[in-house]
Amino acid sequence: MKNQTPWLPVVLWTLISLATLFPIYWLFVISVKQPFDLFSTPDVILRSFFWKNYQDVLTNPTLRGYMLNSMIISSGNALLVTTLGFFACYALSRFDLAGKESIFFWTITNRMAPPAVFLLPLFLLLTQVYRIGDFSLADSRLGMILVYCSFNLPFAIWTLRPTVEGIPKELDEAAYMDGASPWTVLYDIVFPLARPGLAVTLILTWVFAWNEYLLAATLTNFNARTLTTGLSEYVTTTGTAWGIMAAISMLTLVPALIVFSVVQRHIVAGLTFGAVKG
Amino acid sequence: MNYVLKASALALTLGLATTASPARADFWSDAGAKYKGVTLHGVTESTPPSNYIKNVLAPEFEKKTGIKVEIETTSWDQMYDKAIKDMEAKTGIYDMVYIEQDIIYSYLARDFLVDITKTLKDQPDLKAPTYDDSNFTSFADYFKDANGDLFGTPMEAFLKTYLYRKDLFDDPKIKEAFKKETGKDLKPATTHAEYTEIAEFFTKYGKDNGMELWGTTAQAHTGHPASWYEFFESIVPTFGVYNWGIDAKNNYAATVEHGGTMNGDKAKAALKYWLHLRDIAPPESTQSTWTETATTFAAGRVAQGLIYGENAAWIASDPAQSKVVGQVGFALPPLEPGVLDDAKAGKGYIGYYDGGAFGVPVTSKNKEASLLFLEFIGQNEVQPEWAIAAPRITNKATFDDPKVKEMDTKLGGFYTMLKDEGKLFAGAPPYPFHAQVREATAPIFYDILTGKIGADEGLDQMAAKAEEELTSLGYRK
Amino acid sequence: MHSQKLGWLLLSPTIIILGLFGIFPFIYVLWVSFHAWNPFAANPGMVFNWADNYRRLVFDAQFLASLGITLAFVFFAVVSELVLGYILAQALLKDFPGKAVFRTIHTLPLIMAPIIVGSVWKLMTTPSIGIIPYLLRNWFGYDLNIGQSAVAAFTVTVIMDIWHWTPLVTLSLIAALVSLPPDPFEQAQIDGAGKSQIFWHITLPLIRPALLATVFIRLMDALRTVDEVLMLTGGGPGSSTRYIGVHIFREVFPKTNYGYGSAISVIVLYLTIVVCWLLYVGLIAPRVKRG
Repeated sequence: MKNQTPWLPVVLWTLISLATLFPIYWLFVISVKQPFDLFSTPDVILRSFFWKNYQDVLTNPTLRGYMLNSMIISSGNALLVTTLGFFACYALSRFDLAGKESIFFWTITNRMAPPAVFLLPLFLLLTQVYRIGDFSLADSRLGMILVYCSFNLPFAIWTLRPTVEGIPKELDEAAYMDGASPWTVLYDIVFPLARPGLAVTLILTWVFAWNEYLLAATLTNFNARTLTTGLSEYVTTTGTAWGIMAAISMLTLVPALIVFSVVQRHIVAGLTFGAVKG
Repeated sequence: MNYVLKASALALTLGLATTASPARADFWSDAGAKYKGVTLHGVTESTPPSNYIKNVLAPEFEKKTGIKVEIETTSWDQMYDKAIKDMEAKTGIYDMVYIEQDIIYSYLARDFLVDITKTLKDQPDLKAPTYDDSNFTSFADYFKDANGDLFGTPMEAFLKTYLYRKDLFDDPKIKEAFKKETGKDLKPATTHAEYTEIAEFFTKYGKDNGMELWGTTAQAHTGHPASWYEFFESIVPTFGVYNWGIDAKNNYAATVEHGGTMNGDKAKAALKYWLHLRDIAPPESTQSTWTETATTFAAGRVAQGLIYGENAAWIASDPAQSKVVGQVGFALPPLEPGVLDDAKAGKGYIGYYDGGAFGVPVTSKNKEASLLFLEFIGQNEVQPEWAIAAPRITNKATFDDPKVKEMDTKLGGFYTMLKDEGKLFAGAPPYPFHAQVREATAPIFYDILTGKIGADEGLDQMAAKAEEELTSLGYRK
Repeated sequence: MHSQKLGWLLLSPTIIILGLFGIFPFIYVLWVSFHAWNPFAANPGMVFNWADNYRRLVFDAQFLASLGITLAFVFFAVVSELVLGYILAQALLKDFPGKAVFRTIHTLPLIMAPIIVGSVWKLMTTPSIGIIPYLLRNWFGYDLNIGQSAVAAFTVTVIMDIWHWTPLVTLSLIAALVSLPPDPFEQAQIDGAGKSQIFWHITLPLIRPALLATVFIRLMDALRTVDEVLMLTGGGPGSSTRYIGVHIFREVFPKTNYGYGSAISVIVLYLTIVVCWLLYVGLIAPRVKRG
């Protein structure tokens, strides 16, 4: 579909991008302003740059640790739920399992309730029930990866289901008739066609895990603390260190952008539906 | 900031080395020997005094005793929630918890904390020669039970008091204009009428002269308890309404009908006074908590205000954060007649004495080692450097330290006020239901602020709601 | 036709994990909701009180008001995001210079943690000194004060949500649109169908499953919004942005009202299920009938 007026989308998107970027630009402004300047009359154009916030953040080993934890937990969880979600969707789509509509609906109910009250049972479970000897799931990266499944796995299943359902079962049949095993069908036939959906699911579950605050704050103490919990430390009764929080946020855009760029090209990985006609 | 911490650490080491005699220096290593290899876990908020504990005192302690201390810093909400969950579920995660002055009563009611005084008496080898309960200022009284036993070692204490701009009050042009308009001399207010007059003058002066200047701050956030706190902790006591107007001895009555004072005439007068101040305060006041009022003052936008001590210090002295360094004056808050006498006689108080302590949960698995740490941070010797890095004073001896005295001058006399007038201020009332009643009545208060309900009617509803909540919790029969 | 066992095998990790981290906690919360429990009440223990919490909820004006404004918020936010997201997804399908860059920029808001989103919007809209009220006053003479005006605060929360979450809709719909077979469209063009006809009769039915999934996700998440709004307004002015997520948060944390808070959560969960189920039935059934 060749576009007759190539400049129109560019203009439109430039305007949209300005609206999208303004708050992020403002975040940047906050990160390079002196603290007392934040609460005087604002100017849009910066006159001076106060880089100390960035220096403080980059030289802070604790924050680096938080960033590492966030990367591990988010990436681990995103991969886990996308994989398990894919399996689950395949099962729900290709097999005639008893009560599958109910199961499908039930998975998403795990994501429906506001999290505040669920913190207490999760806290009790992680610290006292899910443990082997001295090792408990509390304050561990593994624990957080598993706990995050409670909201990310339903999301993965719900987002992947239309994708998997949209891949014609006839393709599977054709492969089985050729003597393929179920795993081959899954990996060689269904997986490639589901790539855009899988990529989007991977990105979005990664984002949800990356941004999660409440569970991380409650269920971690020292070892598995994430960037979002690190951010909340700066919101105190003697003042919110807006500048540092803004600097940290600007810096977290970097790993996120890297993850995005790696996964994004799979979203529009040109497909042909020509394998089976009608 | 890092430089200051490093300098403090160095000074602290030198200080301890020179003041400690060989016999004392051995106490820590001897006492610590029994617990070598133990790691203590504490939870607190990420404020300067707590960060000093984490970055300077904890490493020092480890060097002396071999006991490692890990401090988890988290947000205010989370800190309470995690400490309470831990103590409630008895999971023993924390060996030390930060106790803000207003939550101590809730913790005491649930027997969550270790009795420091009793434990040190029962185990004399735990008691450090350089530690003594009597070293603390009167602020420590808020962490004692009915028998006078201490349950938390104070680590920060501040007053919320009246700040004013010395430069504006001393400016001849302004003084002349004030005299012309009111016929009086411009000086810090001692009564509410005076305060209002000065505030109105400055707001008008700012408008007439095209300056970004108003006459007063107002911590009047329409959705955050900070506004509720300013009213109940700092304003109504100056009108003679104490302990939120709830009478604990009279079946926790709050309404006038049942014998309380929350919606009495004095409270209503206080609310009218304060709402008027809110109207002439800068526009951001409707979104201001204690931090925004501080930054508003530091940005030079107001001539007076009630500011929490922990912010007052940096407003007065830190050029990186404040535009009004060296121009800040401190005074007692404006009062109704008779309130000062009540306070001096111990029958009332004139404002809020804020702060916190570190305590040991009874569920801790390392109680003795934790007590050693509490004693360590409670020593007189570590206080001066701490006071300079993170302005707060909890020990009586600290006031006389020469470096602290020097800082006091820089701060415009804030420490002198803390020392001499601290006893006129009070912490939060001894209510285990502090947060619950606040949360129950705050939404009505916000509606008063937005004008949805009238002030008088709103206070009536708040008092009734307080009684309803107290009944539901089982305190009011 | 294939062994059921394989199907259950593929499904089992999901069921196990959700059972351990979803079901158990829920059963606990359900159990607590039938008790009066506040660690700082005169009686700090759990006291069984039948359905008393639920009975109180029915008459709790604050709870009902919170539900009301939450539904309004969710309606405005989600509908806007859906429409905007669809338009942007279509716009991103065509090729034009810089498309990849624009797509990446568009997804940036998603990466920002809710506390940051709330903080930056708070700093941008603080009355008088925020950049937005400043510009609005200078350009249009309009005084934006989200600390005083309930409508302004509500609107800003909706705009903030749209800014934050539209990229999620866009991304999901791009994946769906990209997977559509070209045949029906080619056929329709040959038949001379107009753009609007193509949209209503071909595109929409084909992307209905993906659209539905996206609506559900946004609906559920919008109902649970907490951090952003808490940072921006604290639930104010008054209670005008005290959405149900914020309301529960304040019952459970500072007020430590575990029993009552649990009951509220169970009710909200139930209501969400009902709303979602109605949507599910309403949007699936007609399609099945048309078959």
